[in-house]
Amino acid sequence: MIQFQYERASTAKAAVNALTNNANAKIIAGGTNLVDLMKRNVMAPTKLVDINALPLREIRQQDGKISIGAMALNSQVADDKLIIEKHPLLSQALNAGASAQIRNMASVGGNMMQRTRCHYFYDTALPCNKREPGSGCGAMEGMNRMHAVFGTSEKCIAVHPSDMCIALVALDATVLVTGPKGDRRIPFEELHRLPGNQPEKDNNLQKDELIISVEIPDNSFSKNSHYMKIRDRASYAFALVSVAAALNIEGKVIKEARLAMGGVAHKPWRLKEAEKALVGKPATEETFRQAAEIAMQGAKAYKHNAFKLKLGPNVIVEALKNAAGLV
Amino acid sequence: MNEAFFDKKEYKPLDRVDGRLKVTGAAKYSAEYPLPNMAFAVLVGSRIAKGTIKSIDSKAAERAPGVLAVISHLNAIKVPGYQPKGEHPSEPSTNGQPLRVFFDNKIVSNDQPIVAVVATSLEKAQYGASLVKIQYIKEQHKTDLEANAGDAKLAAAAKKNPKSPTADYDRGQKDAFESAPVKFEAEYVLPTEVHNPMELQSIIAHWEADNKLTVYDKVQGTKMTQKNFAKEWDIPEENVKCIATFVGGAFGNGLHNWPHETAAIIAAKQVKRPVKLVLTREQMFTMVGYRPRTWQKIQVGATRDGKLVAINHQSIGQTSSYEEFTESTLMQTRMMYASPSVSTRYRILPLNVATPIWMRGPGEATGAFALESAMDEVAHAIGMDPIDFRLANYTESDPDKNMPWSTKYMRECYEEGKKRIGWKNRKLKPGEVRDGEWLVGYGMGTGTFGANRGPATVHAELDKEGNLVMHCAITDIGPGTGTAMVQIASNTTGISTDKITFHLGSSEFPNAGLQGGSSTVNSVGPAVLAACNALKEQLITMAAAKGNSAFTSAKPDDLMFNKSELQLGGKSAKTTLADLFKQNNLEKIETTNESKPDENRNKYSMNAFSMHFAMVHVHPFTGQVRVKKIVCCADAGTIVSPKTAESQMIGGATGGIGMALTEDAVMDHRFGRYVTKDLGDYHVPVHADVPDIDVYFVNKPDLLADPVGSKGLGEIAIIGVAPAIANAVFNATGKRVRELPITPDKLI
Amino acid sequence: MDKNKSNKKPEKEDHQESRRDFLKASSILTAIAVAPATVAKAAEYNLGEKISAAFETTPVNLTINGVKKQLPVEPRSTLLDVLREQLDLTGTKKGCDYGQCGACTVHVNGQRVLSCLSLAVMQEGKEVTTIEGLAKGDELHPMQKAFIKHDGFQCGYCTPGQIMSGIACINEGHANSKEDIKEFMSGNICRCGAYPNIVKAIQEVKNGGQKS
Repeated sequence: MIQFQYERASTAKAAVNALTNNANAKIIAGGTNLVDLMKRNVMAPTKLVDINALPLREIRQQDGKISIGAMALNSQVADDKLIIEKHPLLSQALNAGASAQIRNMASVGGNMMQRTRCHYFYDTALPCNKREPGSGCGAMEGMNRMHAVFGTSEKCIAVHPSDMCIALVALDATVLVTGPKGDRRIPFEELHRLPGNQPEKDNNLQKDELIISVEIPDNSFSKNSHYMKIRDRASYAFALVSVAAALNIEGKVIKEARLAMGGVAHKPWRLKEAEKALVGKPATEETFRQAAEIAMQGAKAYKHNAFKLKLGPNVIVEALKNAAGLV
Repeated sequence: MNEAFFDKKEYKPLDRVDGRLKVTGAAKYSAEYPLPNMAFAVLVGSRIAKGTIKSIDSKAAERAPGVLAVISHLNAIKVPGYQPKGEHPSEPSTNGQPLRVFFDNKIVSNDQPIVAVVATSLEKAQYGASLVKIQYIKEQHKTDLEANAGDAKLAAAAKKNPKSPTADYDRGQKDAFESAPVKFEAEYVLPTEVHNPMELQSIIAHWEADNKLTVYDKVQGTKMTQKNFAKEWDIPEENVKCIATFVGGAFGNGLHNWPHETAAIIAAKQVKRPVKLVLTREQMFTMVGYRPRTWQKIQVGATRDGKLVAINHQSIGQTSSYEEFTESTLMQTRMMYASPSVSTRYRILPLNVATPIWMRGPGEATGAFALESAMDEVAHAIGMDPIDFRLANYTESDPDKNMPWSTKYMRECYEEGKKRIGWKNRKLKPGEVRDGEWLVGYGMGTGTFGANRGPATVHAELDKEGNLVMHCAITDIGPGTGTAMVQIASNTTGISTDKITFHLGSSEFPNAGLQGGSSTVNSVGPAVLAACNALKEQLITMAAAKGNSAFTSAKPDDLMFNKSELQLGGKSAKTTLADLFKQNNLEKIETTNESKPDENRNKYSMNAFSMHFAMVHVHPFTGQVRVKKIVCCADAGTIVSPKTAESQMIGGATGGIGMALTEDAVMDHRFGRYVTKDLGDYHVPVHADVPDIDVYFVNKPDLLADPVGSKGLGEIAIIGVAPAIANAVFNATGKRVRELPITPDKLI
Repeated sequence: MDKNKSNKKPEKEDHQESRRDFLKASSILTAIAVAPATVAKAAEYNLGEKISAAFETTPVNLTINGVKKQLPVEPRSTLLDVLREQLDLTGTKKGCDYGQCGACTVHVNGQRVLSCLSLAVMQEGKEVTTIEGLAKGDELHPMQKAFIKHDGFQCGYCTPGQIMSGIACINEGHANSKEDIKEFMSGNICRCGAYPNIVKAIQEVKNGGQKS
């Protein structure tokens, strides 16, 4: 790891200033991803701005929404009574990610900012357009079992690794960020981006913007939601495919639905067309199967990840069955 | 003998003698010796799989703060053992030439260590390593086993010696398979697996004088290491000391001395300071061996009522371009079942990869996946219960060696295992049993491994307070060697276990072989026994000489300690240790005893056997497999340390779960470079993967194998587990996965 | 967070920064000779490292196993490397260095965290407990005793991490069932495969009422 400057920011403004003044500065919160990447020489910021002193750890109910501070720990959110009661989907998703120790370190903001776990991104001896623009995509013709089936580009087929973000995108969250020009709100679905021609950019934050909090509007999904993650071992592994499913069922009819997938795209993959197909239908396996088919439209497989085209819809159906209490 | 009086056969569970050190963090592993003036080395690996180094630009690294040296073939001191013929000493020897680190500019595998950066701190060495710029001249590499299978060849050892375990083997009728009423044929693939012990391979190399070397080294043989480095550096063996008091797991990767060890020794010589070198987790995949990717094809011929007619089994395992690594993949096919005709063909395929090394259960575990899967497949094809099918082909003697077994108690294992796993709930037809949405399946697999034994020597000392202290060079990579030896000594002498100490893990101690091949208790145990009996003889002689006539004709077996008293079995004669030592004016007595394999090995076939049963749940739509229960049955002779032995079986079963379901070192052959090479991408089982594991030991001594009666456990704990799980998955789903691991994508 | 502390800090950092800026400006450009491109870019900004080396440590105040310490650390040093290499507290183990195995688990302010992904400089003012700090004199922590009793290890290398994690698992309220324990202990890999025995040890301590 290179030697770098280290600075503790005492205000969000100071942190933003530090970013503005040094193009090679990075924010460090839990460090669970950044320190790892720095050890492997994948990232080499010359300055780290520690934001752990910022008062951004609170989880609170505001009018019509819950606000979670960007520095709230993953474990803190997962275990929070309010979250478990109102958004159990988020709690489940958080607990499906990483390990207890990492969840004790990782912040909510950092979780959103984590980078892909693509093998080619991680190994500086191999080509990767995300790490070194123009060097090529190692995964495209390589070992791409873990890779994306939606929204890929010629340049990159990496997936976003977060579980938390899959729940947040399903729950219509909004991210609050601050920057040199002040605060702004970003709908969660627009926070992360597809690789396109600029796979080095994971998200739509400006380089000197800082995440302050994330808000989840109140909803009617707490009774019927489920996060299902399929991976290569029973715990502590990234998703092959994961699904966040949330239903508002009245009588036996689906009144509202939210559906998102992980492990399939460069960003948390919201399935709005499939959601539409669920609304107004009875909560049955047949309905779910039809929605799953719609969800997979436009999916494109590579050499080693064709199984996701079959696993994906199966997991959607299973997650919905669990959400609806059919299992 | 007076066994009725002194019941020595009953070994009781004992807490690990080094448990306290391990739970307090006081146990010191090889990178944990604080030497003054320590320097830190970090290795830079090659980024191509084959070719030559064109240039190394080390200027920036050399200028970086704290960097003491940047060492490569360009400036490394000459290693005497590399000269003159270029033979590089290594034991146990693989055919060929182990990689000579920093010897020349040749690249023979990806991530081959080519530069060491030595600095005053780890961080500085790591940073320095990132600054080294290397240019290569690339050559076309070959790393893909299946794509190059046509180049597979007979091992040199087999060419030289037709009796070699890797030589071609035929018994019975040549075309027996072709004419069998039931013919089955299938191919199986085991991916490259990596030992991945939790402790990273580490060494501290310290030149205490110009020709005097001490290494704190993570190895499975201190004497092997001493011998190899003495040869390598052309210094007397007694000038090399190897300390490996605690080894944080190894599973076979410490059975070879590797380039990083020599690199650290070179660096220590060059910077004239002790040098600590700890591999990165990625380097654990490329620098210290692995279980080679292996392709197998098996043909089984049987009668319709379940009698084997023929088995033809061939395998191709990968090796490096510079060493011929071989293992006994096909041996159990020759002796496990009473098939009148058997042919085996073992081939190796040299590729531009690093040399593999035996990984727990080694080739036998690989071979068992094919053989035991095939047995299950044939049983299914003829509509027979797989246990009945195996029992129908049970063999009461070794059909390969044409010798009687020293002992074999597999029938007990079948019965007990069936009961414990709930075999009666298994349906012959797959996919018939459900638990909610999940499909339920049962499977089993058997394993065997030679009851190996080698020479070993133990030094023992008994003081007047009755403290027994023993020394032996053997290592303990985790099974609990010290605990087992203390139990054998206590059992032999009657001295309570808390008064016995067993020091191990140093080349300064009396000779022992490697901790590998399930041979430790079978080899070192008898030496402990011999030393304890020699001490007893001395005591009897002393007592008899002092006029205690009851002792005159006594034998060691007649004598036991009862606290500080010495008792003679069946007789009322007794004396105390204190009196005896006082009368003889002694502070302590001591002895050094060697124990060696005897001629019984020429008369009997000696094997440990295991049988593993698995019950799994498989989700039909998501492909998830959950192992819900495992039963491990072992015929391993005397179990001298029931508590640690049980843990060893549980550990083997856990390794088997990894083999069956999760472990896969994936290589991108375009680059000849692994892509799953850390513990995030290479999945070893975690807590959530492992169910309750129920262990049953037959626990009947095999006194033909060795005087302790033990047959060894480490390998049979894993051999047969993977096929048991694969067979259970088939029973649950009707889907047969012949290429491990069985990940969800293969079941949907 | 202590307000006074966070108020004081920036001033100190400002000092350090201006010193670095000065060093940067006054140093001479050196040749690029860097393997990965990212490092090369960083190295260009990291001029004069040799000159500034002496200034590159920052003092950090930590309480380790109840003992207050001020240590000079490089910002890039992890808590794990500081414990093992500077303080000779080698009970905390390095199993992967990437946060993928749990062998380096310690408690920071009572929470289990991975010391390999924790920069030491970021632990200012915190209380760190390692495996060496669990026993009270000769009296082992109940979890240590339970590990011995249930043989919750073989080679012993993952053991300190398992024990630190097991204690925290109970304190967090995630040890209410065998399945719960297995899930919330899955960040601690044991290659010897002592998992079922580790779970038994944790269950026993949990049922006996853990006092930590």
